Amino acid sequence: MAERTPERLVRLLGLVAFLDRHPGVPVEEVAAQFGVSPVQVLRDVDTLWMSGTPGYFPDDLIDFDADSLESGVLRLTQSRGMARALRLGTREAVALVAALRALDASIGDALDPAEREVLRSTLEVLTTATGEAAATVEVQLSVEGDPAVLAAARTALREGRRLHLRYVDAADRTTERDVDPWQLVTGDERSYLSAWCHASGGERLFRLDRILAAQVLDDAVTTSPAPDVQVTYRPAREHPTVRLSLDGRARWAAEQVPTESVVEDDEGFTMELRVATSAWLRALVLRLAPFLRDVEPPAAAADAGAAAARALAAYRELGVDASA
Amino acid sequence: MPDALPPAERLLNLVIALVNTTGKMTKEQIRSSVAGYDHAPSTDAFERMFERDKETLRDLGVPVLTVTGAAHGDEQGYRVDVDAYALAPMELSAAQLGVLALAAEFWQDQTLRAEASRALTKLAVVGVRPAEPDVLGLAPRVHPAGPALGPLLDAAAVRQPVRFTYRAASTGEVRERTVEPWRLLASRGGWYLVGLDRDRGAPRVFRLSRIVGQVGHAADPGDYQVPEGADPRALLDSAQEAEARTAWLAIAPERAEALRARARPTAEPGPPAPEGWDLVAVPYTRASDLADEITAYTDAVLVLEPASLRESVLRRLRDAVAMADRLGANHG
Repeated sequence: MAERTPERLVRLLGLVAFLDRHPGVPVEEVAAQFGVSPVQVLRDVDTLWMSGTPGYFPDDLIDFDADSLESGVLRLTQSRGMARALRLGTREAVALVAALRALDASIGDALDPAEREVLRSTLEVLTTATGEAAATVEVQLSVEGDPAVLAAARTALREGRRLHLRYVDAADRTTERDVDPWQLVTGDERSYLSAWCHASGGERLFRLDRILAAQVLDDAVTTSPAPDVQVTYRPAREHPTVRLSLDGRARWAAEQVPTESVVEDDEGFTMELRVATSAWLRALVLRLAPFLRDVEPPAAAADAGAAAARALAAYRELGVDASA
Repeated sequence: MPDALPPAERLLNLVIALVNTTGKMTKEQIRSSVAGYDHAPSTDAFERMFERDKETLRDLGVPVLTVTGAAHGDEQGYRVDVDAYALAPMELSAAQLGVLALAAEFWQDQTLRAEASRALTKLAVVGVRPAEPDVLGLAPRVHPAGPALGPLLDAAAVRQPVRFTYRAASTGEVRERTVEPWRLLASRGGWYLVGLDRDRGAPRVFRLSRIVGQVGHAADPGDYQVPEGADPRALLDSAQEAEARTAWLAIAPERAEALRARARPTAEPGPPAPEGWDLVAVPYTRASDLADEITAYTDAVLVLEPASLRESVLRRLRDAVAMADRLGANHG
C-alpha cells in the first residue's frame, strides 16, 4: 500500500533534523529509529537530495556526503535551514497525551516506581511542550479487577514468571490453571490478561474482573506471544450463529457485541453473531428482551424466559411481590 | 524536472521555501518557483492545490503565516514562522520513547492512530530508540470513535461551536444540535462529547455513534469559553447514573464467584440472609449495569436491597418472561 502523504512528509523533515543532530549514522540505524526499512530510508535520501530552495541549483539543495553514503552511512552536509525538529500538531499531541494520562490513571499504581516515573516524566515533557489543547480528550480505562490480582499479574509479567489463576468463566464455572502471562490488555470497556494456558494448551484471554485469585509461581514462562496475539475477544468460526431481530431502540446492541452482519429493516434491524457459550447468549437475550422481535434458534428465547420465570419464583418464595 | 512531483515532495519543497524566504512569498512566486507547482494546468487548479497544501501543512503543525504588507496594494504572501515551527527543547530516553510507542498503540480509531504514529515519527528526532518494544507488558486498547471524532477534536481545541444532526437514544428523534464542545471522553466502550447545548442553554452529553452525517461549524474559533467549574467527567458519570452505593445480594451456594470477588466488608449488618443463601455486599456505581449483570444469573442471585435495584432486576425478569411468551406465540 502506498504511504500517505503526511506520513512521508513528516519523516522526510524528521530525517533532516535527526541527521543534523547525529552526524554519521548507519542507514540501518536510521531505519530502525524511524520504524521503516533501509530501502525506504535510501528512497527518502534520494528525494531529499533533489529538494531545496527555489532555483534548485546544487547549492540550493539538501546534501549528504557521498563517500559516507557509499559505505552505508548517512552524513548530512547541508540542511537548508531545516535542522529544527517539527512541533506536534494539536491532534497528534492529544492522541499521545490522552493515552498516557489514561495509562497513568488506570494502571499507574500497579507499576513499579521506576516505570511510573518514566510514564510521569514523559507525560510532563509532552504537556509542557503542547499546552492545554491536549486536555480536550479524556479516556477512562476500565481496569476493574482485584488490585491484588493486577499486582500479581504485573509482577509475573515483569519477571517472566508463571501465574496460577483461579478463574470464573461466563458460564459461572470456576477453574484453576497455570498460565504464562503475555500482556495486560487494558481497554475502555474491559481489561484482559492475554496468556498461554497450560491447562488447555492454547492462547486465552482472561477477563481481569473474573480472575478470582492470582499467585506468582517460581517457574519461568516457557512461551512467548505470537506476533498477532489476540487482544480483543472474537468468537471463533466453529461457534454457532444466532440471529436476533430487534427494534430500533436497541441499536446500541449492535455497537457493543461482535456481529457477523447487521441488516436494517422498517421496524429495526437484524444482527447475526457467533456465540461461544449458551450462558453468554442467555445473558444477551435477557438484556435485549424488551426489544426482541425474533430469535433464531427459538429455543434461545424459551430458555431465557424459563430461567427468568424460575428467578421470579425464587423472589416470591422470599415473600417479595414480583408482579408489576 | 520530472513530470508531476509526488505530493509529499511538493510539500517538502514548499516548506523549505517558506522557511527560507526573507519576508514572504506571494502565490505567484510560489507557482513559478517552487518545485511541483509548475505543472498546475490553470490558475484555478493551482489555487486549489495550494489551498489544500496549506491546510495539510497546518494540520501537521507547520505554522504557515499569511503576511499582508503595510503598504496599500501590497500583495498578500506566506512564510513559515520558524520559532513556532520548532518542537520545544526536549530529549527523550529510550524508556520514554518506549512508553510513547505504547501510547501510540492505544487507539483502534483510525484518525487517532495515524496522528499518534506521526507524532512518534516527530519525537524519534529527539529520542533514543528503545531496544525492546513492549516495555511494560501492557496493551491498551480503546474502541474506535468513528468519523465525528476528528472534527470535534479540532473544534474543541480552538473553542469553535459545532453543529450536527443527532439521533436521541430514548426516542429515536433526529434533530439538529448546536454545541460548544468542552471535552471528548471514551468510557465503557463508547465515545462521548460533553458540551453546552446552545438551544437548551445547558450542558449535555452526546454519544458520538449517534451523530448522523457531517460535523459542521456554527461560529468562528474562540466563540466561547469553557466555564471555570465545568466538570465533563461528572456530567458523563451522571448521564451513566454513576453513584457509589452498596447492593445486598443473596447468592446461591458456590455460584456467582465473579460477584463474590467484588464483595466488600461493611459496617452495617445488612438485611437477614434467607435460609440456604449467602449474604454478600457488593459496591456499585452504575445501577443499570449491575441490574443487567445480576439478571444474567437469574435464580442464582437475588437482590435484597436496595429496593430500586431489586425493582430494576424484577422488571428485566418480567420482560424476559413476556418476551418468551410473545415469541413463543409467533412460532407456535
